[in-house]
Amino acid sequence: MSLFLLTLGFGIVTSAVLALAAVGLSLQFGVTNYVNFAYGSFLAFGMFFTYTAQTALHLPIWLAAVIGVVATGLVAVVVDALVLEPFVRRGTSGFFLLIVTFGLSLILLNLVQAIWGVGFDEFQVAAGNPVNIGPFSFTAAQIWVVGIAVVTMVAVHLLLTRTNLGKSMRAMSDNAPLARATGIDTRKVTLWTWFISGCLAGLGGITLAFNTVEFQAFTGNTFLFVIFAAVILGGIGQIYGAMIGAIIIGLVVNFAGLVISSAYDLDAAFAVLVLVLVIRPQGIIPTIGKA
Amino acid sequence: MGVVLGYIATLGVYFCTYNIFALGLNIQFGYAGILDFTVITFMAMGGYMAGVASLGPSQPGSGIYYILGLSLPWPLALLIGAAAAGALGYAVGLIALRRLRSDYLAIVTLAAGSIVLGIVGNSNGLFDGFEGLVGVPQPFAGVLNLSPNSYTLFFLGMCAVIMVICWLVANRIYNSPLGRTMRAIREDLDVAEAYGKRTFRVRMTAMVTGCVFVGIGGVLTIWFITALAPAGWGTSETFVVWAALIVGGRGNNLGAVVGSFLVAVLFNEATRFLPAIPSFPSLIPEIRNMCIGALVILTLWFRPQGVIGERKARFFEVPLRTDSLDLAPAPAAASTN
Repeated sequence: MSLFLLTLGFGIVTSAVLALAAVGLSLQFGVTNYVNFAYGSFLAFGMFFTYTAQTALHLPIWLAAVIGVVATGLVAVVVDALVLEPFVRRGTSGFFLLIVTFGLSLILLNLVQAIWGVGFDEFQVAAGNPVNIGPFSFTAAQIWVVGIAVVTMVAVHLLLTRTNLGKSMRAMSDNAPLARATGIDTRKVTLWTWFISGCLAGLGGITLAFNTVEFQAFTGNTFLFVIFAAVILGGIGQIYGAMIGAIIIGLVVNFAGLVISSAYDLDAAFAVLVLVLVIRPQGIIPTIGKA
Repeated sequence: MGVVLGYIATLGVYFCTYNIFALGLNIQFGYAGILDFTVITFMAMGGYMAGVASLGPSQPGSGIYYILGLSLPWPLALLIGAAAAGALGYAVGLIALRRLRSDYLAIVTLAAGSIVLGIVGNSNGLFDGFEGLVGVPQPFAGVLNLSPNSYTLFFLGMCAVIMVICWLVANRIYNSPLGRTMRAIREDLDVAEAYGKRTFRVRMTAMVTGCVFVGIGGVLTIWFITALAPAGWGTSETFVVWAALIVGGRGNNLGAVVGSFLVAVLFNEATRFLPAIPSFPSLIPEIRNMCIGALVILTLWFRPQGVIGERKARFFEVPLRTDSLDLAPAPAAASTN
């Protein structure tokens, strides 16, 4: 029983990490309507910007994380404005945009590895004693991860429902030409979407690094298709769907690790992905015309 | 002299194998529009299965474990490798080729690739885990008794023959009704379906045929280097094949040949012999990968059709009727300008 609860606790932490990353990917997927295969490298940028800010500039970890998040958002904006937007404006079909993002992932991941090296790094945080909350046992870092995720989810919810930018993003996600026709500056909204998507990716990367302790350039990328699984399970561009998807996938991955073997926990995520595609390809919360 | 000859022969073998990969991907992507982002997994499957089919039984005390170990002659191993790659392609196709948007297809292939990599790497009993297979027997090596260089030349000849056969088959498919259907599906799946084409079956045929091609290339690879480990078939290797096809010209088998020469041989393999920078041993591979990514993006921007683009089919067009008064300008008048 205690093992079950312990796994449930770890599952919640994984879900929190996954939710941050999945919401960022889903947001951009919904607004621009093509998937970004370079997203795994954004996670890596988040990790390593924070790492550099902490070790080289000797900043406290929270400030380093803020710098890492914003810097990753800027990387995403630069990538979009420099490479992807020109292709989109030219009317390149979805096929080739996917290949371009695939190429970008190769470039960016190798860039990260060239700058920060191939070895494993870790953040310098005091380990601290495990904290018991009810039946669960967490480290301080894990509580932070869950807390950050909850706060961020609320913030994303408020952004999408209360602000003009969020409403424009939802309008573009529903129907981009119509949004443009009603006077929304779609180019600006797209850039903001990439910035927020990059920020969430950076945050996802940092929390992932907290969770795995050690990380290297490709840590985020091996996690990429688990993020995809959460996004597809939730439904493309559906933020709340992505949150639900993240919770389900996070729990499945951890319980599969408990029942089968932790070497095969990613395979469990793949099994969920396959089941979703076979049974309900439109996801939990479907978007009309997007499956 | 012998060293240079051996070097050129080695590059020639790489050219042949990459060319077979590119032809396989061309059938999938260039003909049928299937985004297969895990080409190299099928290469590995072909190579591994051919390896365990031709190796002897796994020795319990040696610390190297693998399945089968049938000691079969090489033609059978080649068939087994190609069939295994095709079967894996069928399994992936069953999930990926359902009527879903193309992003999903790409995601499923990418995910399947990393799953296969994880399974092969983590289970030592399958293909000896992350250590990989070693000492796979080379065809005719025991019979011919050649020096390494001469054997490389002989092997190059063998690869060239297989490559030419693959090239002829790929061209035959392109010009066949099946190939035309594939291209129709690539252009518009719904229209092809409305004309009564069985789109799932045709796309699955393209998927499996492409995988068989890639598997054959994989068998040649494992014969040539006699070893294969999971570290050798990551995502970046898949991208080399994609780069070859995109740069050369998708949908055109000649483009696939040119691309494999430019990207895989001149760019990817020839630079492997550059001396590494001692303090940064991984820098040159990193720069190479970045350049290949940039090469593909730049090609898609400046010359989307590739070096040798696909020739668009020309059809006889019914001339406009000129007797319906002035509604349409006479074609003759238009052509005099």
